[in-house]
Amino acid sequence: MNADNTAFRIFRESLERLGRDLPADDLSDDERVRRAKNTFLDKLDSHMAVDLETCIHCGMCAEACHYYEATEDEKYSPVYKFEPLRRFYRRELSPMRWLFRPFTKDVTADDLETWQELVYEGCTGCGRCDMMCPMGINISTLINVMREGIASAGLVPAELRALQIEQREKNTVFGVGAVELKELVEKIRQQGTEIRLDREQAEVLLLTTAAEVLLFPDALAASAKILNRVGADWTLLSKGFEAANVGLVSGDESTQKAATTRIAEQAKACGAATVILPESGHAYQAMRWEGANEVGEKLPFEVLAISEFIAREVSSGGLKLKTGANGSAVTYHDPCRLGRHGGVISEPRALLKELGLDFREADSNGRENYCCGGGCGEYVIKRSAPLRQKAFEIKKREFDETGADAVITSCANCRINLMIGAQNAGWQKPVESLVETVAARLAD
Amino acid sequence: MTLLDFARGPALQWSLIILVFGVMWRIIGALLIMAKKDLSKPRRKTMLRDGLKTIATRSLPEHQFEKRIRFQHLSGYAWHIALFISVLFFAPHIMFFESVLGFGWPHLPNPVILGTAAVSLAILLALLIRRASHPVQRLISNVDDYISILVVIVPLITGILAFAHVGARYETLLAIHLLSVEALFVWFPFGKLMHTALTFPSRFDAGASFGRKGVKA
Repeated sequence: MNADNTAFRIFRESLERLGRDLPADDLSDDERVRRAKNTFLDKLDSHMAVDLETCIHCGMCAEACHYYEATEDEKYSPVYKFEPLRRFYRRELSPMRWLFRPFTKDVTADDLETWQELVYEGCTGCGRCDMMCPMGINISTLINVMREGIASAGLVPAELRALQIEQREKNTVFGVGAVELKELVEKIRQQGTEIRLDREQAEVLLLTTAAEVLLFPDALAASAKILNRVGADWTLLSKGFEAANVGLVSGDESTQKAATTRIAEQAKACGAATVILPESGHAYQAMRWEGANEVGEKLPFEVLAISEFIAREVSSGGLKLKTGANGSAVTYHDPCRLGRHGGVISEPRALLKELGLDFREADSNGRENYCCGGGCGEYVIKRSAPLRQKAFEIKKREFDETGADAVITSCANCRINLMIGAQNAGWQKPVESLVETVAARLAD
Repeated sequence: MTLLDFARGPALQWSLIILVFGVMWRIIGALLIMAKKDLSKPRRKTMLRDGLKTIATRSLPEHQFEKRIRFQHLSGYAWHIALFISVLFFAPHIMFFESVLGFGWPHLPNPVILGTAAVSLAILLALLIRRASHPVQRLISNVDDYISILVVIVPLITGILAFAHVGARYETLLAIHLLSVEALFVWFPFGKLMHTALTFPSRFDAGASFGRKGVKA
């Protein structure tokens, strides 16, 4: 099932207004530079130092970037996107800094403003360049440090900043809070699926996102249906259901830490042994791979993506699926932060094959998959819309080459961005949810 | 002291001292910067194997990437291999290595060495032109990129001239050739030629960090 067209139209209209009236962060140029440098200093470590020392400026990373491929504009070369960070490293931290410093330009406020566009609009942190680099440099990590430095300099684009401030101050995203969630839960219950809301103790804590509440309620209903079917002792908490982490995508670590800590504390309070994340790539990265580091200790519970959880249940025999092929050909779009950055690559494929669907791989898939073009919060930035649309053409070409009738993915943000691209391009193939696809085919 | 004596004596000694200490300084200095421990639970605990594997596998890009980098990829292999053949299998070079190491190995015929040196030189010149003209490489290049190509090109040119006895007395040509190689040694720790050593920890890091997430890098 696809998203409700009216809801999607309203959502797109709300994106147009996002951040419109937000005043700019009023910092002096010196203060912006000071804050950015402090962040660079705090974040740079030996792994990044080796990477920065090793780069040979071959430029091959450009050939992995969907934005460079779509535009052939050299400024989208991934190595160029962390140039100020490289200069900072050479001046302040490199073992050869005593020699490099006089010959290396210092980071300026103008640099930060120039690179704001490159790291927020010209990069989704997808990490495809990480897989291309012949030196093995983790380029996306370096660009993310750039993003965090620019965020600390008060230069987060207004749309993302509006969402980040909202999450930090109100603990809501897109205005979705407990009231909106409870309304949706009632609707889902009326449709016959039990949602176990606000139980004090549960073994499994399910999270959802504002995107699911607003646009993809069937995904939440599908997750609940599967958890009920396997007999899980689970709950969804109205005071803390949001898995989206705008801190991570905006580069504001204090917001990221607060959102992560909130989830961890709630999971501990209800005694959850497992936290299940909804279809959201960045939420998975924030909790599964960065959660413990943000909280400052090992997490006392397991973190699973919903697709991982389902695949595990199917594999163990706890969940039976209807396996008869229905003739439709599908392909799968790997969300970057779930697949390449997250390691959830085989599980969605195992499920689609288990269902007996005619599964067709795109030429670039799994660890080499192209980004949807709007990840890491970029799809909310109005100024990048033309660039995203050009990148969508790459996805469209890859999907079309498979001959599939539908695209399935497991990230609400990828889904939104692909749907926006498809709408703009007049491309008719549906972009569907993995969890909904599975839940619609549960064996009796 | 003749120019050749200088090239064979103090210039060689000092350039090697700068090379060895410079390389150690740069590698150890980068590794000494602190790194926070990753507290996330690894999907698999095979980081050592994953890291070592990536050191090898990153030499061969996946086909989705290969189709867009074929020229750079193949030309990179070609000039490196041709250069190493010229350095390691030229009879006078082997005599030099034997005098230092105490053992030698069979050499290749001179025309073959001349050919590999010419191939390496031609590709390096093509890559130099590409660096100055390709929009991406032009944008991301700095002085180091050009110096690092030049310090490899010049020994090839002086080596070919010394081999052919063209332009000056053989002793003078040989001294210039040795000095150009020593210039490469001196530049090595300061520029991107350091990738020769740093590629290994860098690739290892990529393999280990993606490997702990269960992703082949």
